[in-house]
Amino acid sequence: MDAVITTAEVSKVFNMGLADEVRAVTGVSIEIARGGITVLKGPSGSGKTTLLGLIGCMSRPTEGKIVVEGKDVAKLPERFLTAVRRKTFGFIFQQFNLIRGLTVGENVMLPLYPTEIQTGPMTQRLEGILAKLELTDKRGVKIQHLSGGQQQRVAIARALINEPAIILADEPTAHLDTKLSEDFLHIIMALNKDGKTIVIATHDPLIYDKPYIDNIIEMRDGAVTAVKGGCAQ
Amino acid sequence: MKGHNRILEYALSTLLRRKFKNFSVAAIFSILIAILSSILFLTHAYKTETLKLLDNSPEIVLQNMSGGRHELIPIEYIKTISAIPGVGNITPRYWGYYYDSLTSATYTLMAADENMRDVKLIEGRMPESDGECAIGKGVAAIRQAALNEDFFLTLGTEQNVNLKITGIFTTNSTILTNDLVVLTKDNLIRFFNMPSNKATDITIEVNNPSEVTTVARKIRRAYPDSRPILRSELIRTYDNIFNWRAGIVLTMFFGAIAAFMIFVWDKASGISADERQEIGILKAIGWETSDVLALKFWEGAAVALSSFFTGLILAYVHVFYFNAAVLTPVLKGWSVLFPKFEPMPYIDIYQIFVLFFLTVVPYVAASVVPSWKAAISDPDSVMRG
Repeated sequence: MDAVITTAEVSKVFNMGLADEVRAVTGVSIEIARGGITVLKGPSGSGKTTLLGLIGCMSRPTEGKIVVEGKDVAKLPERFLTAVRRKTFGFIFQQFNLIRGLTVGENVMLPLYPTEIQTGPMTQRLEGILAKLELTDKRGVKIQHLSGGQQQRVAIARALINEPAIILADEPTAHLDTKLSEDFLHIIMALNKDGKTIVIATHDPLIYDKPYIDNIIEMRDGAVTAVKGGCAQ
Repeated sequence: MKGHNRILEYALSTLLRRKFKNFSVAAIFSILIAILSSILFLTHAYKTETLKLLDNSPEIVLQNMSGGRHELIPIEYIKTISAIPGVGNITPRYWGYYYDSLTSATYTLMAADENMRDVKLIEGRMPESDGECAIGKGVAAIRQAALNEDFFLTLGTEQNVNLKITGIFTTNSTILTNDLVVLTKDNLIRFFNMPSNKATDITIEVNNPSEVTTVARKIRRAYPDSRPILRSELIRTYDNIFNWRAGIVLTMFFGAIAAFMIFVWDKASGISADERQEIGILKAIGWETSDVLALKFWEGAAVALSSFFTGLILAYVHVFYFNAAVLTPVLKGWSVLFPKFEPMPYIDIYQIFVLFFLTVVPYVAASVVPSWKAAISDPDSVMRG
């Protein structure tokens, strides 16, 4: 298997040494297959969101090694991690984490603001993504005026604007009804067909029971309890 | 550069998204700058005008003292003083104050002589015969008088002295002429009922400026009841008076400044949960720490700079268009009886820079530093709060 992400004995401890110390992830060693759809499955508090954050360079492990695209990112300084986040990952958050008061177009283009990309190509990229996600007519609408499903599509659009190789989604269907969850999965399948690696943290059977999920990594109490598919443990 | 422009645009849109917070800070910031700048503008305008006035004044003005009060000076002193080595022109001056009960203002009445050589007329001419006068712009305004119109002064005997206005003054320094009424020498002596062998004071020019103190000492030795007033002393005294008054006013506003600083620190430094989460989101989607700091810098700079310049403009309008209506009674002191005074727009750039560094720089720092703490943390922990 061609692994795009590998973790070795990764642990994450919050508030280490304090009375409220929490060991969120313990000794996780997994491999995420390039071009596949991988689900991190587990109940609330199992550590799947923390693990997703670790492999997405959103935080650093307390122990262990994380290799992304052949590069060990566990010990990288913050500014290098930012570059990895920008170039490699697109995030879809559980709460969408869109910025209220901004329009759809502004929210989607936000990751590109600090880059040197010219306005013309940036706008072209935006228009292409909005069209793909059927959001073209919403481009100038403020984010708070959209439905939950539309907001999620905007979050997906924002995750795609940097043209990342890997999409990370945290509980993407938590706030969606069945129809919208199915719509989301269709979008994810389409992205996967385009060659994107997808990693989803979820406890929604609507997702992990789908036949096209390549790998399922089950977690409980911060540790990996089972792996189905091609992921090593 | 493209990226930086977009961060600046985003900073401005962020300010608009938090309108209430930012406009309330900007409004208070502007008012504070307006008050402080008004004090600085007005003090500087007074000092500059006073220095301009003193630039043309003689090196020594000799007054006669009696019982610690200013008295008329005998003209015969001139003969003795002119014998002192180094003394140049000596001129007796005839002038006095006149309280005009009609307008509740005090005018300075002065005899037309060669001391007036630096005063240019806006229109008309100097008085040449009895019954003529030239007046300052302030007097003309308060008496609603124009060229060639009648102008009367009331003697202590309740008798009116009618004069014709032959000229209205203007100079770069309105302090010099604003309250001035110039008569012929004979007319003024008669009006004040002065003895013919006395003048109000005597001006003495000294050929070598380094000998002024020596000459003054010799005059004092010859006439112990006289008081030689040196130009350098006057400059120093006026400087101290205006600095002291400005200091008093600034002290009065100290409480307001302190309250503002606390307010600014609270508003700028206490980033809300929303702002904190926004920083986390920006970091998560690929913004670098330096990008977040640039964003916060531009937010702080936009509020501080717009407030600073708004405050400066308000102060300029207040001081130079509305004649510092709010501050004049405090800074000008005895001016209750002074004709309306229009300060000339002199601005000390150094003071503006000092004010800038004491207000704008701390505000921008207060905006950036707390965000920096959030920006250097992992986005995950920032978003979790």
